[in-house]
Amino acid sequence: MIAAMTTQVYAALVTIVVVYFILLGAIFLMRAAMVGTEDKYAAKGKVYKVRGFYFWGLCVVLTVGLFWTLRFLPYEEFQQKPGEIVTVVGMQWAWKMGIGSTDVKPKDFTGANQITLPVDTPITFQVTSEDVNHNFSIYNDRGVLLAQTQAMPGYRNDLQYRFREKGDYPILCLEYCGAPHTIMTGKIHVE
Amino acid sequence: MSNKTREPMKPLDAEEFRKQRRLMVTWGVTLLVLFPLLIGLGLFMRLNQGELVHLQPNTFYAIMTLHGLGMAGLLFSFALGGLHFLVGTRFARTSVKVGYFVFIGVVVGVIGLVVATLIGGFAAGWYLLYPLPFKGTSWPEWSSGLTFISLLILGVVWLVGCVHIVRALSLEYGGFFQLMGWRYLGNKEPEEELPPIALISVVSLVPGILAFLAGAVFLIMFLFQLFEPSLEFNPLMMKNILFFFGHTLVNITIYCAVGWVYTLFPEFTGRAWKLTKVTVIAWNATFLFILFAYFHHLYMDFAQPISIQYAGQLASYMSAVPATAVTIFGVIAQLYHSKIKWGVIPLSFFLGAVGWAIGGIAAVVDSTIAVNKVLHNTLWVPAHFHTYMLMGVVLFILGFLYYLTAPQSGKEGGPKAGWAFWTFVTGSYGFLLMFYLGGMNSIPRRFAEYSTMGISSSHEIGALLARLAVFFVVLVLLGIITMGISIFIRLMRWVVTDATSTESSA
Ligand code: HEM
Ligand SMILES: [Cu+2]
Repeated sequence: MIAAMTTQVYAALVTIVVVYFILLGAIFLMRAAMVGTEDKYAAKGKVYKVRGFYFWGLCVVLTVGLFWTLRFLPYEEFQQKPGEIVTVVGMQWAWKMGIGSTDVKPKDFTGANQITLPVDTPITFQVTSEDVNHNFSIYNDRGVLLAQTQAMPGYRNDLQYRFREKGDYPILCLEYCGAPHTIMTGKIHVE
Repeated sequence: MSNKTREPMKPLDAEEFRKQRRLMVTWGVTLLVLFPLLIGLGLFMRLNQGELVHLQPNTFYAIMTLHGLGMAGLLFSFALGGLHFLVGTRFARTSVKVGYFVFIGVVVGVIGLVVATLIGGFAAGWYLLYPLPFKGTSWPEWSSGLTFISLLILGVVWLVGCVHIVRALSLEYGGFFQLMGWRYLGNKEPEEELPPIALISVVSLVPGILAFLAGAVFLIMFLFQLFEPSLEFNPLMMKNILFFFGHTLVNITIYCAVGWVYTLFPEFTGRAWKLTKVTVIAWNATFLFILFAYFHHLYMDFAQPISIQYAGQLASYMSAVPATAVTIFGVIAQLYHSKIKWGVIPLSFFLGAVGWAIGGIAAVVDSTIAVNKVLHNTLWVPAHFHTYMLMGVVLFILGFLYYLTAPQSGKEGGPKAGWAFWTFVTGSYGFLLMFYLGGMNSIPRRFAEYSTMGISSSHEIGALLARLAVFFVVLVLLGIITMGISIFIRLMRWVVTDATSTESSA
């Protein structure tokens, strides 16, 4: 169960919990604001005392959050050499993918919008674009976004990913790139 | 009023006040007319995504572009107009002429954008990501040119409007460091108080000035390229410039509106809301975070230096500290045991702060690089910024408009919130929830339709959520139009009341 939890679900859970407390607090406050038993200095004093705790609590949470989450950066997922290198070129409105690194210009690169890759192998996608900005996004067949990187003309972004399961992985473009943007799809077969 | 900040400015005479008021009413009516229309565009997008109507993709994206630019532009313009009035009638003289100059510029710019998108079909999205405006292929060059020129006009008049308010404040309260409240940082209490709105205006408008200068630079570069297509700019640099512009614009819209909340809320709670050392430090920090938070738009550009990515997450996280520990707790200290009456005015301000906090947590979650890698450019992104725009800024604006037009009510809190208000709030949260659920389910943003994704579950979920959203958007429209009509009538009444009698309480 836990293993199947995606990052999206964690993100949503954190958000839901915090929003729940915001709403509880808001309702409590709306009621507490309608009475006026204390003089205002006493009331403010109480609030500021809570604020002191809140401030330090928040600092701790944010610091822990920073250290925790900065361990999961997408920039260099694995230290070892990639088992496979894939060149990816985005164009209006298709993907060109091919095995291996390349020196040819993005415009002259020939590739297909389908590719077959090995399972459980560290793979580096060398992603660029020949015209406008695109975004190379890997989904699984249940529609979960797994990894992405921008495809920017003139730059090469290296996305590292390891497919854990065999199957078909749809590729979408997640950077709006003109009217036919939504048909800019591809597929990775993992065996 | 218990506001004990020094009473610096010679009060306006009746004639001057009337002029400022007419300008404010002009902004109010403009907002009331344009806002529902822009929501209508949003409705069309959701209808299309829900497969209840069928638009050509380019029509969808032209609508999306106009909706985004129009909303961001309208709300910022109104926030600026609101500050111009509030500052100008209470704290430091602002010029009505400059105010109308800004207004006319905004109208011209908006007309330009409407023509460029709806007639010209310009559809590069509100952020004009370079080099898409030149390579869209489905819209003519003149529509790109018209968009750049319209935006340039907007940028220039906003720049003038910002500089004008900052200048007016500095004539009254001293130079930049004075306005940034540095006199509070010593050990002694400052002899002369600075009203919070002065500090907040400067913290938002100075980054605004920098952003509009940056905006002018990239728009001029765009115009060059239009006339000289062989030119090529560095796309990563352009992306940095235009997110600095766009992010800052949207960000400071909220802060401008927060400025008037600091000023007006005390009138309903009977408690002064004054600057202290802590608030000053907080807002000075916010100044920096406004400038650097935009880095979080480029996390998925792996070519951007990693140190900047770290800085982006750090600045985004840190910005939660002053926003909540100072402003949200300020609201709490205002309210707790204050015996307030929950009329629509304090209610709007309060719920606006709640919406701001909710949008804020969603933003902080997404500004985590490890999370952004699966939420970037999904519907989670419009989810969070629509939250603090619709349930933050727009509520602040409604509160502000009710306040202006019901000045006598004072501590009563203004008229009671009626069904229209609650319909608006309910509809908005329902509409937002569909965006959040979309983001959670990896539904991409800026997809005119979900049927082409090639993933049947995503297609079904995306379209279903859009259809549900349509229902809530109708509620939003119902609420906002009803409230709009009543606010319009109030504005028309307010603009002819005897100026001297309103002035004392306004
Ligand atoms: C009930 C009111 C609103 C509705 C129904 C609505 C609807 C929408 C929809 C459907 C989208 C496209 C989402 C997508 O990427 O698939 C969108 C985008 C956007 N909206 Fe709204 N919206 C509303 C209010 C606002 C407000 C108050 C703002 C204020 C800033 C705003 C600013 C934007 C912006 C900047 C975009 C992005 C445009 C782009 O991607 O180029 N919207 N809105
Ligand atoms: Cu694309």
